[in-house]
Amino acid sequence: MVRAFSIFGILLLAAGATCAQSSPPTDQAEQMRLLLERIEQLEQRVSELEAKQAPAMVNAVYTAREAAAPVQPPRQAAAPAAEAHQHDVPEQAATTTVQQMELHYPSLQIRGFGDVDFSATDQKGTTSGFNLGQFDLHLASALSRKVSYFAEITFNAQPTSNTQRTGYTVEVERNIIRYDYNDYFKLSFGRYHTPIGYWNTAFHHGAWLQTTISRPDIVKIGGTFIPVHFVGFLAEGNIPSGGAGLSYSFGVGNGRGDLISRPGDAGDNNNNRAWVANIYSRPQRLYGLQLGASVYRDKITLAGADFREWIASAHVVWTKETPEFLAEFANVNHRRVLTDVATNSQAFYVQLGYRLPWFERTVKPYYRFEYTHMPLSEQVFIPNQDLVGSIVGVRYDISNYAAFKAEYRNTKREIGLPRVNGLFLQTAFTF
Amino acid sequence: MNAKTKRIAAVLITLIWFFAIFQHASSAQTTRGGTDIAVVVHPDTPVSDLTLSDVRKVLLGERQYWSAKLPVVLLIRAPVARERDVVLKVIYQMSESQFKQYWVAKIFRAEAASPPKIVYSNDMQFELVSGIPGAIAFIDARNVRPGLKVLRVDGHLPGDKDYELR
Repeated sequence: MVRAFSIFGILLLAAGATCAQSSPPTDQAEQMRLLLERIEQLEQRVSELEAKQAPAMVNAVYTAREAAAPVQPPRQAAAPAAEAHQHDVPEQAATTTVQQMELHYPSLQIRGFGDVDFSATDQKGTTSGFNLGQFDLHLASALSRKVSYFAEITFNAQPTSNTQRTGYTVEVERNIIRYDYNDYFKLSFGRYHTPIGYWNTAFHHGAWLQTTISRPDIVKIGGTFIPVHFVGFLAEGNIPSGGAGLSYSFGVGNGRGDLISRPGDAGDNNNNRAWVANIYSRPQRLYGLQLGASVYRDKITLAGADFREWIASAHVVWTKETPEFLAEFANVNHRRVLTDVATNSQAFYVQLGYRLPWFERTVKPYYRFEYTHMPLSEQVFIPNQDLVGSIVGVRYDISNYAAFKAEYRNTKREIGLPRVNGLFLQTAFTF
Repeated sequence: MNAKTKRIAAVLITLIWFFAIFQHASSAQTTRGGTDIAVVVHPDTPVSDLTLSDVRKVLLGERQYWSAKLPVVLLIRAPVARERDVVLKVIYQMSESQFKQYWVAKIFRAEAASPPKIVYSNDMQFELVSGIPGAIAFIDARNVRPGLKVLRVDGHLPGDKDYELR
């Protein structure tokens, strides 16, 4: 027992040492604070010296002029010149600072996201091991004061075999040019993540941005439940609504393609455009809360058959991390045009996380429950893709831009299949 | 020293160690007290009074235009400056890392083209606010100079009893 305590004590000492190693930022912060204070003092000193120098310079100019040409008049003429010279220097410096800080167009910024994962499950036929997650590049560039460009490109590792040697696929996830008229109207064209619900437009493909390792089933990459991408135009902005803090987005585009998990990037497969409307509120009095609802309408053409698709979605999120709460629900209605037979599929998830107050708020345990139901009569989706699952995990932010995550998942897919337990690890980062 | 005493000692040591670690972690988050922080804008900015929620909307990048022709230019002091501490604590209600992550996410969502500009001193802040139309910054009220427009926040100016940015 004592040995166990000793080992525990040693581990704690090690933890303490690690914590102490991570403490230099506090020292650095103190040093930076002192340096900033020093800059302030120096700035004050410079101002004082400039103030003192003014009369001295006037006198110097006057004396010099007197020496060179004694008859020259005097102060009144010299003083403005000296003042002008004296003012020129700081004004020049100020102009330079302003010029340096002003945005130059185009101003391209590149940011990347990546993750490395490990998985091990008790599902028959699967193997455990490491895999590279998506390598994600994000480009943002202001083209003028009101026009901006955004793009997201992912590189996805693919399994290779003797017949297929493609190591990676490249995908243009988003490609958007946007014109801002004001806060109430912004118009953009391109390829988007469809503004249905919350997750799809909050985290995109950056695993580092999301608390968990995986995305919920409802918005999983390559999934079909909601159309993850959308090609067309989008109008968005705030709605003057006082404390309700309402915002909207409305878009028209190609909708689902022949492969329903993909949008019609190269063109629509029918003459009917999809549209999406999303409205959400961020109440001023409840900073951190967001409530929203979305609808999506499309006509899907699959193997010669036409279906009307209606998606209705709602979400409630509390974005502060003490606690973090995300809940989203979507109902997908498909009605075959020829027979008028309709089906409804539902999915939702509820996620709860809490950033602990200790260890410089770097640790965040979390839990998510998710549920997906597709009836057997479903004609557009592959039926019997039901899911009931829970995940529990912890995220540890190694730095401001990198995190470790560990997650245990317990999921059950179709009726008759066993529950699957799995351990998942991830290190996700942005650079 | 018998086994029981050793056990108790080990438990006490671990508890003290835990306490020390937590204290260390929480002490890193305390902020320094001081004077009011003034919200200043370029003199031509068409606002003079904002609610704290409005200031928050501006700082969160949810309000990006003062008017259709005048975009907001956000200026924020570099880390460890007291002005920044107050802005993060009172307005953003975020830690330093949450603030950084917020802006990475904001740009990634295509909701903003660039993060707030970082300024390193009062002089630099003064030069930029007075030189860039639409600029907004947060300055220690003692260092406000003529040539800047000081905004009322919820109807209060720095120095007022109910002024919140301190």
